[in-house]
Amino acid sequence: MSYRVDSQLKDEIKKYGISDWNQCFHCGNCTAICPLSEDKNMMFPRKGIRSMQMGLKEKLHRSVEPWLCYYCGECSTTCPRDANPGEIMMALRRYLTSVYDWTGLSKRFYTSKVWEIGAILFFAMLVISIFAFLAPPLDPTLTAQGGVKINSFAPIYWVELGDWLMALIVASLLISNIFRMYLKVIIADKKVKVPLWLYIKEAWRLIFHFGSQWKLSKCDDKKYWVIHWLLMSGYTIMFTVIVVFLPWFQTQEIHPISHPQRFLGYYATFGLLFGLTVAMIGRLRKKDVKFKFSHVSDWLFVIMLFLTTLTGILVHIFRINGMPYLTYYMYIAHLAVLVPMVMIEVPFSKWSHLAYRPFAIYFANLKKSAQKLQAQKYPERAAA
Amino acid sequence: MTTKAVGIYFIDGDHPGAPPGKDFSALIHYAEKLPGVKLAQGTGNGWQWDADAVAAEIKQNDLKRVVIAGDAPGFYKTFFCRAMSMAGKDPENVFVASFREYVALGADETDRVKAGLYCAVLGIPLETAISPGETDVNPDTLVIGGGIAGIQASLEIAKAKKKVFLVERTGTIGGYMATFDKTFPTLDCAACILTPKMVEVAQHPYIKMMSYSEVKGISGGPGNYQVRILRKARKVNVNTCIGCGTCAEKCPGTAPSEFDAGTSMRKAIYIPFPQAVPNKYLVDAENCLYIQSDGKKCGVCKKACPVPDCIDLDEKEKEIVVTVGNIIVATGFKPFDAKRAEQFGYGKYPNVITSLELERLVNASGPTGGFITFRARDKRGNMIFSTANGEPASVALIHCVGSRDENYNKYCSKVCCMYSLKLAHLVEEKLPEADIYEYYIDIRAFGKGYEEFYQRIKGEGINLIRGRTAKVEKSANGRLSIRSENIAEDRIVEQEVDMVVLAVGLEPREDAAELARMLGIPLGEDGWFLEANSHTAPVGTSVGGIHIAGVCQGPKDIPDTVAQASAAASRVIQGIMRGKVKKSAKDMPHKDIEARAKQLAATGGQP
Repeated sequence: MSYRVDSQLKDEIKKYGISDWNQCFHCGNCTAICPLSEDKNMMFPRKGIRSMQMGLKEKLHRSVEPWLCYYCGECSTTCPRDANPGEIMMALRRYLTSVYDWTGLSKRFYTSKVWEIGAILFFAMLVISIFAFLAPPLDPTLTAQGGVKINSFAPIYWVELGDWLMALIVASLLISNIFRMYLKVIIADKKVKVPLWLYIKEAWRLIFHFGSQWKLSKCDDKKYWVIHWLLMSGYTIMFTVIVVFLPWFQTQEIHPISHPQRFLGYYATFGLLFGLTVAMIGRLRKKDVKFKFSHVSDWLFVIMLFLTTLTGILVHIFRINGMPYLTYYMYIAHLAVLVPMVMIEVPFSKWSHLAYRPFAIYFANLKKSAQKLQAQKYPERAAA
Repeated sequence: MTTKAVGIYFIDGDHPGAPPGKDFSALIHYAEKLPGVKLAQGTGNGWQWDADAVAAEIKQNDLKRVVIAGDAPGFYKTFFCRAMSMAGKDPENVFVASFREYVALGADETDRVKAGLYCAVLGIPLETAISPGETDVNPDTLVIGGGIAGIQASLEIAKAKKKVFLVERTGTIGGYMATFDKTFPTLDCAACILTPKMVEVAQHPYIKMMSYSEVKGISGGPGNYQVRILRKARKVNVNTCIGCGTCAEKCPGTAPSEFDAGTSMRKAIYIPFPQAVPNKYLVDAENCLYIQSDGKKCGVCKKACPVPDCIDLDEKEKEIVVTVGNIIVATGFKPFDAKRAEQFGYGKYPNVITSLELERLVNASGPTGGFITFRARDKRGNMIFSTANGEPASVALIHCVGSRDENYNKYCSKVCCMYSLKLAHLVEEKLPEADIYEYYIDIRAFGKGYEEFYQRIKGEGINLIRGRTAKVEKSANGRLSIRSENIAEDRIVEQEVDMVVLAVGLEPREDAAELARMLGIPLGEDGWFLEANSHTAPVGTSVGGIHIAGVCQGPKDIPDTVAQASAAASRVIQGIMRGKVKKSAKDMPHKDIEARAKQLAATGGQP
């Protein structure tokens, strides 16, 4: 198979946060030390670095390997050239996100601080102006339980409508981008034909890997698996509750602590805060390899999510303690961080990895199984 | 040049993509004031490597000469030559001012860099402008280090009938070469080449060999150095010892043999190896029971010795002073400590061994008589190799241990590829049934006959795998498991083997910096002694009458070491024949260099 060489590719990828693309001398240490790297379609990071250096654009677009990496940093610590394979994988993930994204916004957000921060501010201002113009008069009276009448300020109906609208936009963007990923990874690879039943047979991987982060548990440092899992599960619970069960979650009633609305909320916010605090301290201290290099998008991701969680908790505290004005203003602040975070980070930026990563594992395994089938069917071709 | 027509560009870093970090502002400030300089600027942040723009700048300023300055800016010469010709100027007029080379020429770095800039602006090489003059020379020479380099240099000078003092730290001359079995690429027996030379050194009337001695201090100047030499207490009279070995038979103290790279044990009174020169015993005070107990215990060697008064365990070290005109430094290297590369498990797993240990094992005169065996604890509790331990059925060799690695040494140790290929061949020879795997990053078979040797080994059924080994671990069945990428075959290999051999690189000796301070010669970036000029004076230093030879200047193999030793000797002899030696380049003051450069420029480069 022949590839067209794109001599600009490395300069293009450099914009996504690689300090020196030329350091690697291809000793293979990173691939060998990586506990997740496997034969054939799952060999990384060296081969990805090779494609980048050589300008093999199509080959890079076809590869899912960058998504299989969870960035434990072992490769960067032991790299004899200080080439930082882990960080290159990170940059390739950013690059691939922008490749999958058909709107072209992802590239803008990743390569320009002005665009990314501008877009966040735009959505924040949008939320604030909606409330400024459309919010009903603030009701300072309290419920019989002594809580704030949150639903009089932000009617469930309208908030839910907004929720669904946002979910629709984000989901259609993500699904279309995943479809583009599928086209590049599976369809464009002429060497592998995946039979239909295999898609169904392997589908469990999607849910399993999304839910368990199983691959991360294979990395040497298990503590990041626990932290990442807490973060992911907290986020998933919150997201589901807010989008699907909003009338049940956003209540005026003050439930007892044993009520699932309370303890699920507390668990999720704990998971989020804990994971984010570890990430922020790590990124500030820069001791751990995985936190040594921080792209703007890395910082925005943790800060936005942290602020969302924090304002959410404050809304809750103010509400149950009967502080109407603080509750209302905090609610606006909460949405002013949450909306841009969901609209920018999830489809276009760092957060998209929550969709791409399970699909990458799914696609990689599809290819692997399909190749195995082909090898059984045509042993002579496989040998060649 | 009367008009201002020189442009100076200060290059940040010595290769594209090198991290910036040099602050050239002080130098730029200095350069702007030099005669004829129109333009001086740095190529730091935001500078565009655009030949068109530079050409336009040259044209606009009507530059007749361009100087590129920096640590090692030679890389960029072609770029500026192109810009010059694009601007319609003579591309010959691009001059390189390489600071890294200038440092070798002087003690004060900034002073020498400034002088170099001055000369480059005038179009005169700094080496030409520096002529510190000459002084009378003492015809005697000191050679520090009794390895193959020191032996070769001593013999060359002695053959010219000039007196040589050869100082060797250990009990025997011969160095690392004496421990090797075969040499690459011819597979000649190393001992057969070396031992006749060692004997020649010992018997030569013009060589005063001082084994078990160390250089402690140097005073004086070029042509007339007073060297303080510490003659450590050998405790055995070299003149009367007949080398019978009766003392060692009776001696109760033991220690790992340095000569055997720790693969076997020796006694506290010992001879380093059977062909040692001088072939006389010596006492290792740290393991001697008599010395450690202040003469209260033991002393059996004295009683056993058949020669009266030969062993004197109470002998004290003494210092002597010799006066020499020239010094050749040939102190060699130390092997990389494999324990530092923890991922390979040296020191943790007994059958992870270093190449030097294997070198002793495959040697027919080695501790196992040429058998490659496992390492195990013997009855006395020492970890040694013995034929009783069994032989490995598979051996893996790992290249580049401690070399080409930013975590340890950045440089290539130059010899490991070839000696690993040689060792693979020797293992194949000794264990024809064994599977041999060799993991490499690149094979650097750079010398005469080396590529042919590599091709020959490739054809011998040795599995050469392109890929650096990431780690060595103990597998469930107690063997050693190696994980590596096989880049050529595009897969990840996990190989189980019985024995792992680490091709350790070469490092400067721990005391190299101390010796450099004593001699006043500079050390390079990696800790090796810095030559005066890597191209035109590879064995000279910035100090008059001090020369370097062999690995102490940088990693190299035996042929190169011998060539350098002969070169250093020829420089010494040349000086002695003329009766003059150059004074130190570093002693020539800045003002004199400038004056001379000016004078040279006025006469068109002719002195």
